[in-house]
Amino acid sequence: MSRFSPLEERDGKTVVRVPFTRGLTLTSGQTALALVGLVVLFGLPFLAGLVGLSWGRLFRGLLFGMAAVGLNLLLRHTELVSFGHAAFFGGGAYAVAVMAAHLEVSEGILLLLSAVIVGTLLAAVIGYFVAGYVDIYFALLTLAFNAVIFATVFRSAFFNYNDGLAVRVGGDNPTLFGLAWTDLGYDLVLYYTTIVLMIVMLVLMWRLINSPFGRALDAIGQDRTRARFIGIPVERYVWYSFTISGLYGAFAGGVYALQRLHVQPEPTLYVFVSGEILFMAILGGFTTLVGPLIGGVLLVYLLEATRFSFYYYHAPIGIILLAIVLFMPKGIMGSLPDFFAGLRRRVADPGRLGDDVRSIRSMVRQSLTRATTTVRILVFGVK
Amino acid sequence: MTTERTDDSMAGGMDRRTILKAVGGSAIAVALAGCTELLEDEDDAIEDAEVPDEPIEAGLQTFLEGAPAVLGVQAQYGAETAVRRINDNDGIAGRQIDLDVIEEGEEALENYQQFVNDGKEVTFGPISSGNHEAMVPEINAQGVINVATDGTVTTLYEEDHPPDENTYSFRFQNHDVMEALAAAVEAVEVLGADEIDTYAGINPGYAFGFDEHDVFSAGIEQLTGAEEVYDGFPDLGTDDMSTHIEAVNSEEPDVLFSSCWGGDATLLLEQGHGAGMFDNIELMVGPVLYGSANDLSEGLVDGPIRSGSRNFYWDEPDTDRWSPAAALFEEVQDEYGVVPTAHFMSGYGAVTAWATAAEKAVRPLGRWPEQDELAEVLTGHGFHTPAGYHTMANDHQCYSNAHFGELGWSDDLDAAVIENVNVYAPEEVSPPQGEVSLEWIGGW
Repeated sequence: MSRFSPLEERDGKTVVRVPFTRGLTLTSGQTALALVGLVVLFGLPFLAGLVGLSWGRLFRGLLFGMAAVGLNLLLRHTELVSFGHAAFFGGGAYAVAVMAAHLEVSEGILLLLSAVIVGTLLAAVIGYFVAGYVDIYFALLTLAFNAVIFATVFRSAFFNYNDGLAVRVGGDNPTLFGLAWTDLGYDLVLYYTTIVLMIVMLVLMWRLINSPFGRALDAIGQDRTRARFIGIPVERYVWYSFTISGLYGAFAGGVYALQRLHVQPEPTLYVFVSGEILFMAILGGFTTLVGPLIGGVLLVYLLEATRFSFYYYHAPIGIILLAIVLFMPKGIMGSLPDFFAGLRRRVADPGRLGDDVRSIRSMVRQSLTRATTTVRILVFGVK
Repeated sequence: MTTERTDDSMAGGMDRRTILKAVGGSAIAVALAGCTELLEDEDDAIEDAEVPDEPIEAGLQTFLEGAPAVLGVQAQYGAETAVRRINDNDGIAGRQIDLDVIEEGEEALENYQQFVNDGKEVTFGPISSGNHEAMVPEINAQGVINVATDGTVTTLYEEDHPPDENTYSFRFQNHDVMEALAAAVEAVEVLGADEIDTYAGINPGYAFGFDEHDVFSAGIEQLTGAEEVYDGFPDLGTDDMSTHIEAVNSEEPDVLFSSCWGGDATLLLEQGHGAGMFDNIELMVGPVLYGSANDLSEGLVDGPIRSGSRNFYWDEPDTDRWSPAAALFEEVQDEYGVVPTAHFMSGYGAVTAWATAAEKAVRPLGRWPEQDELAEVLTGHGFHTPAGYHTMANDHQCYSNAHFGELGWSDDLDAAVIENVNVYAPEEVSPPQGEVSLEWIGGW
């Protein structure tokens, strides 16, 4: 293979080297999947409508998913569960809104920059205080900081209470790259700018988690004491990762504000939003890089769209999520390799399908037996 | 300052032609005003108009779950009742309405976008003022009319979206200046300006509560020169009001103002009675206490408490003398088994405003109006409901009489009522078009 060719031989198989990643290689199947993903991502504004999906909703899903990618740096590597990441998403969103509403800044890129700066600073400050804690203490502290920020915004005239702030100066959409756009043009430019930045940020995240720093975070996640013994400055590294994690949330929140053009505390800063971001990471597969992104799209879509089909719309959402958690415990993306491996085995040996049917039948039979026993005990008591 | 009651002989003496003319003379306008018996044998030229055959697709977003459902479900009942009446009377120019109702949640803007994508010709809601504020620019960008049921923050059409920047967004329910000022005027009516030296406020700690407190304070201070001795803002959905009640008991203000609603209102009354708060104040005025009419109990309505009921109280005018209100009350009891509150009228009136304007537009056009034509007709449009006469003003804010009365109990209904109702005309409790409320109050 040529030195400049992206293809190389590894263990007898041809793999594709992904540019700018210093070592990320994909099999042919993974490459095909990644290309499909890129085509879908770039074609989304035009493809979504064709299949009856809302592009705007998918866009918001990607943004929350991006916040979940940031959160996943902590969850997957340092094994810290943060219940407060809405603080950075909302912090970024409110930075945009405050700059537009109070300081009349109308350039979208400047607004986005302010979101990243404010959200990251917020993460740096909170991270400084929580970096030394683990487990439930870490979770509760992050939740407490989130709750304090929410309450401050909710009750402050400066932030216009729960009514929130508009991201329009003089009633107009912000400019992007110094130009005023039509509504559609604004949405498209914002979307494609975001997608390009998002891909860059994903590549950077990949490089980060595969760097010595990323390995150190893994070590911290496995055993803090041992990590300290081998010379890793644990608290400092957790602080850094918390700040970087917050940066991703702040970026996503900033774009969210530019996309929605009105920021309110409940959809951006409420502690339940932190829970949703965490759940997005788990749902999509927190052992993967892009899983949280998929989780974000799926959860946002379910939360926003099912109410148009079901009166008690929380019920079907709950059932779908339960099914994913029960049957795909590694999340959607995390379960894909197992799923494809299982599929390949069944294609090679269709007899396994018979075993599957027998397993399901046996599972149902056992469940029914248990249910019957429970009902009998409830009605007739234990005899 | 109150509006005089209509004399029995006046209502009884109004002939059929006069009433038909008064309510707009069309089938739907008459039906929604609650006067369907007047429609018999009436020829209607609108039948010749060229209108599409398919039904009107409409959407309503309101709170269907959680604490705000106390208000939101009433709005749903109201909108459904108006739609049922329209469809029972052959629709608008022959077009029936299909109404989709969905949970408002925190995604009102996204819900509106989905409604538009789904091809809705008109949308109604939301309840929340913040949600409403987020929606207005999008409504004007999409160009599909929305008539908000509530979302009553004052500044929305006064400052943030003045008429020259707003074409398609309308609001039916009175804005919050009207009810907060009605509360101030009511306090003066009941106690007399000279008897009010101090006042206190316990209001929910979010935009609505802060807004109501500011307006009431401005109003009562202008009317009486009273001094504020306490202002408390419990969290929305709190489970304890005791610190605020103790503060009121300690200060013993002449008037206590509270815009608490739903569970907060019942909790305040419960804990207030338990702590003897009503022995330490001369009067409590609450613009939306009656929104909890179906959740209050007899013991809670005791004491010097006067409640507002926004632009509708079901028994004003008296249902014995005003058959449209009597018929509506009976229909709501039969259909839903509840006492209709002002939020019922929010839903009913929003649909009625749009439907009567649409029918009005079809008549001269001879066809179904475009969105911009309908918006033009809706601006300045006057129409009747069983609550009375309503005007959709040039700022897209609808104006109706505000109601206030003494909170009481009806054994017959086994529900709260308000008695000795005072009715305030819009010009008494809201600024003239183009003026900002707080500046206008400052000039009293």
